[in-house]
Amino acid sequence: MLWYYKNMMESIYGIYKPYLDRIMEQIEGELTAFNEEVKARQGDGIYEHLLARVKDEASMREKCSRRELAQTTENALTVITDSIGLRVITRFIDDIYEIVEFLRGLPGVRIAAEKDYIRHAKPNGYRSYHVILEREVPYEDVRGSRPGRYYIEVQLRTIAMDSWASLEHQLKYKKDITNQKIIVSELKRCADELASCDLSMQTIRNLIREGEGEDER
Amino acid sequence: MRLLLAEDETQLSRAVSAVLKHTGYEVDIAANGLEAVEYAQRNAYDCMIFDIMMPVMDGIEALTQIRALGDVTPVIMLTAKAEVEDRIGGLDAGADDYLTKPFAMGELVARIRSATRRRENYTPKVLSIGNVRLDKEQQELKAENSVRLAKKESELMEYLLLNSEKDLTEEEIFRRVWADDPQMDRGIVWIYVSYLKSKLESVSADVSIIGDREGPFRLGKRFAS
Repeated sequence: MLWYYKNMMESIYGIYKPYLDRIMEQIEGELTAFNEEVKARQGDGIYEHLLARVKDEASMREKCSRRELAQTTENALTVITDSIGLRVITRFIDDIYEIVEFLRGLPGVRIAAEKDYIRHAKPNGYRSYHVILEREVPYEDVRGSRPGRYYIEVQLRTIAMDSWASLEHQLKYKKDITNQKIIVSELKRCADELASCDLSMQTIRNLIREGEGEDER
Repeated sequence: MRLLLAEDETQLSRAVSAVLKHTGYEVDIAANGLEAVEYAQRNAYDCMIFDIMMPVMDGIEALTQIRALGDVTPVIMLTAKAEVEDRIGGLDAGADDYLTKPFAMGELVARIRSATRRRENYTPKVLSIGNVRLDKEQQELKAENSVRLAKKESELMEYLLLNSEKDLTEEEIFRRVWADDPQMDRGIVWIYVSYLKSKLESVSADVSIIGDREGPFRLGKRFAS
């Protein structure tokens, strides 16, 4: 078991790594249950899919260096807030806001920060809703408190916003692309067209649901 | 199509309006320039015909005020034959065409047709109200963010912008924006108004479209509720 012990010592997350997994699984479970509940009620789930991960060792170390922080457990868990990260992909824009309200209401959760890049898109056209939760959990945290407090970062976007973001991501990590300037401006145009389409689909869904309400009356 | 006729000589205005109505136009009559300004602020017109010599407020002053409000509706001035100065003054104030009295009704109707046909050329490529800009060529709606509009959305937005702060009926909007598709169900207007409502909100516009389902609709400043 020596190698295991050695690995544990080397992890930037120190002895807190298993807690991160448990905290992630808990919130993932809560979101899944919420999705099932909405599905039972409306026929369609509140999200299309959900990704959850604990940031891997190498990425966390790289992020510390990039932000000129020492590679310590304390920095990884208290300065950097995405050791636990979730991405929730929805079909419709309103679903994002409904999920944010759900997260806000979870036990032990406090919103540490939130950025609405949907209503306030980034200049390149990026749209997404970012929220950083601080959650009280029955485990010890790096400050030695128990119950402890851990950060969870959640990014929420529609399918259209997500495919745009993955395309934009490819651009970011490639150099010397021909027609770079045109591609950047075309991407921006796409983002605005997709946003428009997302809004039209949301509006149509609202009209259909209003219509359903009228039929019942 | 709806016209505004400002003419103080009642007999003449009655005769002209009768012919125009017979030709198929809807016509509102203003008895002087001040009334014309009030009508233009309230309603959306496809063309306006102003006499120059009118009591209370003359046609040139009325036109100047209407243009100052950002209204680009085509205007035809009616001038006395001798008054070259009036014609120059009218054109400089923003008239698109003029006709000297006495005129043949057929010529007035032809000039109205010409003015409304060329409407596209008169309206600017970029329209704005509050913090909102519509770039017609790019079909881009922009305030804090931007979104791209579909063709009909852009046309509807243009019509609302050209007639901001005025109540527009579902029928008026339909006849202007869906002129090429008269078989379309009138309910399309509400759907497109709904699209634009959500799109204005999404770009954080400080204006919104007021009005529910069958209208009337009005584009105007958003008031804090």
